[in-house]
Parts: sequence; C-alpha cells; structure tokens
Amino acid sequence: MRLDSARADRITAVVLIAMGLVMLWAGYTMDRLEIRRIHPSSIPGLVPMMLGVGICICAVFLFLGARDPDDPPPAASWRNMLIAGVWSGLFALLMVGNLPFYAATAIYVAGFVIIFDTGLPPVKRAVIGCVFGILAAGIIGALFRYAFLVRLP
Amino acid sequence: MTGFANFGAALWELATFTTLFHVTWATLLGIFVGSLPGLTATMGVALLTTLTYTMDRDAAILVLLCMYVGAIYGGSRSAILLNIPGTPASAATALDGFPLAQQGRAGYAMGLATAGSAFGTLIGIILLVMLAPPLAEAALKFGSYEFFWLALFGIVISGQLTGGSSPLKGYIAGMLGLMVAMVGSDGIHSHVRLTGGWGELNGGIGLIPAMVGAFGFAEVLSVMWQSVPQMANGKSKGSSLPALVDLWRYRLTIVRSGVIGTLVGIIPGVGEDIGAWASYAAARRKSPERDQFGKGSTEGLTAAETGNSAVVPGALIPALTLAVPGSAPAAVLIAALFIHGIRPGPMIMLEAPTFIYSVAAMMVFATIAIGVFGVALTPLFIQVLRIPRAWLMPVVFTLCVIGPYALTQRIFDIWVMVAFGIIGFLMRQMNYPVAPLVLGIILGDLLDKSLRRGLILSDGDVTAFFTRPISAGFAIIIATSIILSIGPVRRFVAARNPFTRKARG
Repeated sequence: MRLDSARADRITAVVLIAMGLVMLWAGYTMDRLEIRRIHPSSIPGLVPMMLGVGICICAVFLFLGARDPDDPPPAASWRNMLIAGVWSGLFALLMVGNLPFYAATAIYVAGFVIIFDTGLPPVKRAVIGCVFGILAAGIIGALFRYAFLVRLP
Repeated sequence: MTGFANFGAALWELATFTTLFHVTWATLLGIFVGSLPGLTATMGVALLTTLTYTMDRDAAILVLLCMYVGAIYGGSRSAILLNIPGTPASAATALDGFPLAQQGRAGYAMGLATAGSAFGTLIGIILLVMLAPPLAEAALKFGSYEFFWLALFGIVISGQLTGGSSPLKGYIAGMLGLMVAMVGSDGIHSHVRLTGGWGELNGGIGLIPAMVGAFGFAEVLSVMWQSVPQMANGKSKGSSLPALVDLWRYRLTIVRSGVIGTLVGIIPGVGEDIGAWASYAAARRKSPERDQFGKGSTEGLTAAETGNSAVVPGALIPALTLAVPGSAPAAVLIAALFIHGIRPGPMIMLEAPTFIYSVAAMMVFATIAIGVFGVALTPLFIQVLRIPRAWLMPVVFTLCVIGPYALTQRIFDIWVMVAFGIIGFLMRQMNYPVAPLVLGIILGDLLDKSLRRGLILSDGDVTAFFTRPISAGFAIIIATSIILSIGPVRRFVAARNPFTRKARG
C-alpha cells in the first residue's frame, strides 16, 4: 500500500480522530487547580481540549476528501530503508549507552558501509568498512569529547 | 540612517581574523551540506547547533548563519548538475539549471546561481536592517491577544503554503506540533500535562532532539528509501564567472526576486522553496522570454536563486523581532539563540540593541564567502557530489545521535530523536509538510500562554480577542485563509480570477 493513497489517508484520519478524542478527554479531566484558586479561564486543559476538537474536525475532512494520487509511485527501495532504519535504531537505542561510544560508532558505521556499499567486492568492502568505521568513530568521538567537552555515553 | 550606521559599525567590529576563519569553514561546510541531496539546511543548522554549545555567543551565531546561507546556496549545485535539488529550496533552480547543464553550460549556470544567491541575500540583508528594528518596536505594543493570533497565524499560513495542494495536511501537521508542545509543565501554573506519569517528559519534549530527528534521521531514511541518484552531466564546461552584461540585463528580475523572497521569508514558517517558486513565477510573468522558462532560461535560474537566498535574511526578521521563525532553519536558530543567551522577541532592541545589526553584518560575510567559494570551488563540489550515500549517511546519523545528547546528556533525548525521525519520514511519505509540525512545537507555548493570559485579563470574555485593531486584522486574515483553502471555495475563486483565466486561456 502506498502511504500517500486514499486508504492510508482514511486510516490516518481514524487514528487522528482517536488521538483528538484522547486529547479532548485528557484536557477535560485534567486538574482544574481549584485548590489554588486560579481563574477558571486559565485551566491547564483548555488548549489541549481545543486541539482535540480541532484535530477531530480536520481528520473528518481528511477522511471525506481522501483521494488516490495521480502520479505513479516513485522508484524506491523499502528494503534498504527498513534495513537502514533497523540498524540505525539498534545503534541509537541499544548500542549507545551499553557499549563505549567509540566502539558502538565504529561497529555501526562499519556495518552500514558493509551492508550498503555494494559496488565493492565483499572482502575489500569489509576491510574498507572497518577502517572507515574506526576512523569515523575516532574523529566524531574526539571532536565531541575534547573539542566540545561532552561526556560521551 | 542610524540603522545603517550601526550596521557599518557591526561590520567593522566583525572584521577580524577569527571571524574570517569561522566564516570560511562554516560557509564551506554549509555549501557541502546543501549540495548533497539528502542533507538540508535545517538539518545542517540543527546539527551544527549541537557543536556550538561551548563557543562564545557571537562565534556560535556566526557559524550557524554561515551554515544557513551556505546550505541554501549549496542546494543549487546538485540541482544544476544532477537535476536533484540539494535542498527543497533549489527545486525551482533545477528547472532551468539542469537544462543549461545539459547544454554544456553547467559552469556558467553555477556562476549565475552564485551571483543570484549573493544579490538575493544582500537585498534581504538591506531589508532586514530597514524593517527589523521598527518591527521590533511595533511588536512592543503587542499584548496577549495579539500574540495568540500571531502564533495561530504562523501555524495556519505555514500549513497552507507548505501543504501544497492539500492545505488540510499542513493544518494537521501544525496541530500535531501544538499537541507535542502541550506535553510537560505548562507555562502559567507549572502544572505537568499529558506526560502519562513519565518523569522524563516533565520538562516537555526538547526542540533540538525533535528537529534533529524530523530533519536528520528522517532524511537518512528518505535517502536510503530513494533509488540511487545518477550523475546526469558532471562535466562543468564554460566559465563559472557570470557575464556582467547578463546580470545588468536581469537587474529588475534580481531586485524583484530579492524583494519577493524577503517578503516570503517574513511570513512565518513558509521557507525558501516558496520564496524561489514565487520569484520564479513573477519573473516568468514579466519576462519577454517566458517560453524559454523550464528549457534553460538564465533569467529563470537567476530569479529562483535570488528568491530562495533572499528568504534567509527575510526569515530572520520575524525570528529576531517576534520569536516567530520565518522558515524551518530559522526555527532552529531561535533555539540556538536561547541556548546562547539571546532572547529573540520584541524586547531584543532593548536587551541587545545592536544584535540585529551584528546578524546582518555576519550575513554579509557569509554572502562574500559564497561568492568566492561558488566561483573558485566549482570543480571541488562536483567531486563532493560523488560521495557514496553508504559512507555519508552513517556519519550523519551518528551526529544525529550524539548532537542532541551533548546538550542535556540524557539518553532519553536520543529516543526522542529516533521517534521524531520515524514520524518525520512517515509524514513525508504521506505528503504532510514537516515545517508546520516544527513551528507548532515552537509556537505552542506562546499560543497556550497568550490565550489563557488574555482570557484572565478579559475575565473570560472572548470578544476581547476580536476588538483590538491588530487582533481583528489577524483574525480576519486567518479566517480568510482557512475559507480560501476549502476546495470548492478555492475552485470558485480561481475560476473568477483574471490571472488564472488568462493563464489557462
């Protein structure tokens, strides 16, 4: 399914309506701080309630006006995107914080080059990827650690 | 005239070796970022912001402005050589730049683009010096009612103009940004809202991690999603110095595009791409060679490049005086200004009276740098465009990870970056503009506080929002914009618009 199709817009509209209703409910049930004797017009839930209503109205129009695009789908690789997304997610959410930053970055960059630089023979790619990964990790890490005095994760 | 005297003094004060050093590397980096498809000006400014934490204020702002000016200009390189705009701002440039490159005039096209960008930025700087101080003074008269409408105006106009054929998606993106801004401690009573008991969210969602994710990680995913771009005509033939006679012939186009670009820049959250298209359309309407537009027109190329570059100083006018960004990179600049101890907004002329002139002077240095590098380093940038994405993207993503972390030293901000990266990618795929989302995050607090403060002042009477002249003006413009964006109304108006009819007929 294309993500800019009418079906995708309708599904999004339903999700947005659900979000809008949650926002409206959260704003309505939010503490009105009567104990602090605030002005009733300044309750913290006022704008969330308005946004909840607003997003629901927009979502209804989105649902009713959903239309398939006229242009053909662009040439694209979902596989490449998913692999890059998962590998990057692993680096950001698992490796960083659990491994020393230099090691995590070197593994990530080397892995990325090995996976995607398909123009080179496998052995050469692995060697170049590892060298590039170590260099990139060293330069980026040193830049933040010594030039910008950041305590690396 | 005092304004220009202050501007001259700022130029003199900045003319030091340190300034030139920062201008050189930051503008080069900006051109590099802008010229690579997949790296945008917003992403460049956001990532560089994370590298400026330890710099002194003026040096930090200088390098960010050089990055911004350089990246918007740099987008023309790949637009001309590859028919792939390096940044969205250069989409109009590709229309005439690429046909010129195919005719073997790539060097000349890049030279003309350089001249157009330099003149556009200079026109914008002159207007910045002229308009920003009086605007800041006028903004001192703004109260809660006016600021509420101003914030809403920014969201609506940005949503409408960046949403393209579907303003509704622009509005939705803006509202999602406002919803994000509601998370955390509220600005009046410090009541913690919508955190679901998650302590990390008490301070709200950070703008820098959100922007780095929405523009950085989302770009990485988008680049990996696209098919590999092919070099269409990498050989630069001909001189990269534009002929003075051509520039003189297009003097009116340059001035007109510069003014249009600056005015587009002043409109909140609209950005460089709209500035380029508006200038291009105006040039086409006025040109005696309009049939050449789209086929390699040097006038079209000049108009587009002048227009997008003029947006840069234009976008800083509301950013500095109202704290409302004129474009997405200007939004990051606002965050950077706060980090470095400058509070943009109506008080800027009282708290830092010479700062606006310093900003204008910094942009002059950046403009000179793009002029020099644009002409001298054309062959180098052709090589830069050959860097494989498999090498570039992991480095970009590593910077996306470490940049937001460096500001707060919280792993949580890396999660926020990743979440906004996925959201940003999905929004692009579904044709939702990302700029209104960011504008919503920035303006959410202003909108929320102004609405509730206004209601307290009027004792709950909403008519106070419609009876003051500026508020009423904003309300009318917003209502008209929304009504005109409704499909049947838009078609009805277009059918009766003499310009539209003429174009069709």
